[in-house]
Amino acid sequence: MKIRIIFIVVVVLALLAGVPWYGSASIVQFGIDALLTATLAQGWNLIGGYAGYPSFGNSVFYGLGTYGTAIAMAQFGLPFWAGLVVGGILAVLCALLLGIPILRLRGPYFAIATLGLAAAMGAVIANLGIAGRNNGLILPLFRGDALFYELALGLLALTTLMIYLVSESRFGAGLIAIRENEDAAAVMGVNTTLYKVMALALSGFVSALAGGIHAYWITFIDPGSAFDATLNVKMVIMAVFGGPGTVLGPIIGAFLLSAISEVLAAKISTVAGLFFGGVIVLAVVFMPKGLIDVGYGVRRLGLSYFVQNIRQNRL
Amino acid sequence: MQPFVGLPRFDTGKPVVGLWKPVTGMLGAAALALAGGLAVTAPAQAANTITLGAAVQLTGSLANTGRYYRDAYNLAIDQINAKGGVTVAGTKYQLALKILDSQSDVNLGVRQYVQLLTQDKVNFLLGPFSSNDAMDDSSVAEKYQVPMIQGGGASGQIYARGYKYIFGTLPAAGDYFASTIKMMMTLKPAPKTVALIAANDSFDVSVAKGTRELLKKAGLKIVVDEQYPESSSDFSSLLSLTKSKHPDVILWSGHETEALNFIRQAKSLNVNPHLLYSFTVGVPTADFRKALGADANYAFGMTPWLPSPGLKDAWFGDAAQFATLYQTKFGYAPDYHAASAVADVEAFVRAIEAAGSVNPQKVRDAIAKVNFDSLYGHIKFGANGQIVMPQTVIQVQNGELVKVYGTKFYAKPAYPLPPWSKR
Repeated sequence: MKIRIIFIVVVVLALLAGVPWYGSASIVQFGIDALLTATLAQGWNLIGGYAGYPSFGNSVFYGLGTYGTAIAMAQFGLPFWAGLVVGGILAVLCALLLGIPILRLRGPYFAIATLGLAAAMGAVIANLGIAGRNNGLILPLFRGDALFYELALGLLALTTLMIYLVSESRFGAGLIAIRENEDAAAVMGVNTTLYKVMALALSGFVSALAGGIHAYWITFIDPGSAFDATLNVKMVIMAVFGGPGTVLGPIIGAFLLSAISEVLAAKISTVAGLFFGGVIVLAVVFMPKGLIDVGYGVRRLGLSYFVQNIRQNRL
Repeated sequence: MQPFVGLPRFDTGKPVVGLWKPVTGMLGAAALALAGGLAVTAPAQAANTITLGAAVQLTGSLANTGRYYRDAYNLAIDQINAKGGVTVAGTKYQLALKILDSQSDVNLGVRQYVQLLTQDKVNFLLGPFSSNDAMDDSSVAEKYQVPMIQGGGASGQIYARGYKYIFGTLPAAGDYFASTIKMMMTLKPAPKTVALIAANDSFDVSVAKGTRELLKKAGLKIVVDEQYPESSSDFSSLLSLTKSKHPDVILWSGHETEALNFIRQAKSLNVNPHLLYSFTVGVPTADFRKALGADANYAFGMTPWLPSPGLKDAWFGDAAQFATLYQTKFGYAPDYHAASAVADVEAFVRAIEAAGSVNPQKVRDAIAKVNFDSLYGHIKFGANGQIVMPQTVIQVQNGELVKVYGTKFYAKPAYPLPPWSKR
């Protein structure tokens, strides 16, 4: 059984890794975007899905990774990997500094506290000379989209492996305990503050690496694009669509939603936004627990699974 | 305590292992969706067709200006085809246009430019609207070494990267106030002090930087030099600061909505420069004059283009005829964005004919050498790829837009500016 799963994972990974060789250049472009978004959704999954703290501020880490990489490369002429390290460190520091005060807030209060983070950090960056103020930074041009694709795929694979290991560990069990009942978890001996801050830091770290790859690929960044608030919403929607608190749900959500949005954009550009919104509304009504849950919900209950979902939510 | 109600509830034991089976199948399905999502077949290339491609903001926040580019590209290509198309080494070619909607999303725009080059196999690229989009999209042109001529981004940053395949027909942001300052120095009474106010985005920072140098050269004293955050709506503290310094002139650079707010608040706080004020945006548009009514009077501005019959064109006759044709066809008047977009298409035609080939490298070298008169003005690119073109000073006088100064005076400016109480 286990061998079969490993075999399937390896085959899927190999198929995805081969895309630059047998896919067209525009599929590679789409792939880079979809893989990076999936990484962001996975990063969010850790804090939002497992620990149950719905962060709307994860794009702060993405932005810091973007800027860490850009500053290292454009201002100091450092190589790309050094930029990624700088971005990752910045994001982890930020997560530690922010996490300790705001992770004391619970439920909607936590979500509200994180909402303003991206905008605030954008405003800070827009006034820093080293970050090019509001004008943004220009990175050197690198002609190798296949490399960016493989980097993004590697990052997503490692992030997913990390989530899997976390979910199997004491740490992961602790996070789920916090999500289900934080007070009870504390009584049971879970160091809730430490666990939550660690989850946020890990989540920030992978988001920052995704930001760094995106920065070098797109070659120009400014505070508006790096600290884009819609990115927060996007990663939450994708994770929730696929199934938060599961290992593969956010990836499936990100891939499917990216593909749907891309096809809609190509086929019916003017009303694509409307249709995309419709897809999300339907998804939330019929499968509030994500696609993953549909997988065995339907097997167990048949089509009445959807009816049950609607009843449960008293719609 | 249930922090996030919509989440699935698992027992705290081993929640995830059981999920593997249904999930792996779905991952495969998702991978297929990823691979199949974009598999749109390329249109067959008709013989003797040269295709220009662009990803323009047809929907989303920038669509209002994006439409100028779509309509102008289409009109230019129809007109050129109607007049015989393009002659490449003795063979007649027709032009075609492939336009995609970037939905005002920079990332999508970049992907679409790659798609245009790799899948739709367009020959050359036209640009999107706005400096930020042009920044990112021109990187695609440079990566694939296919020339792009864009008429939507004026920021100096686009041309500061040493790229070889990007050309632009909007004049440099740093020179926007050059003709205004030249005009100011000939006026009596002559201004001595200037307040320079600019938004903090790429384009306006470039304007401020260039203007600072121009003012220094002209020997004018800058008494206020302030930046404000993009899309501000409250200018009261900036206006109070300006009032306390009593400048002769206010040179202002930003976006149209901000310009409207600035003027309205200047009126309510009774802030007035002694001699004149000038705005980089707003003044040329009818919306600006409509929104402000009589308060729009006396505002100076600039435009690289006005639909005057003096601008002769090989395909449209002149700029005035172009403006009439455009108005009847699309139902709204063209502004310099549209004229600049037409010039981009014409520059390609001239360059392709001069190169006698559709080879991207050869056409690129020919673009660097083009030198012709168009309805937009004289088209010739500087060494960095950006056009050098003077701005015409314009002013709102009695609710009408008046062309005031270019290299000489066309009309008498309303000068000096009367205080708000006496208008």
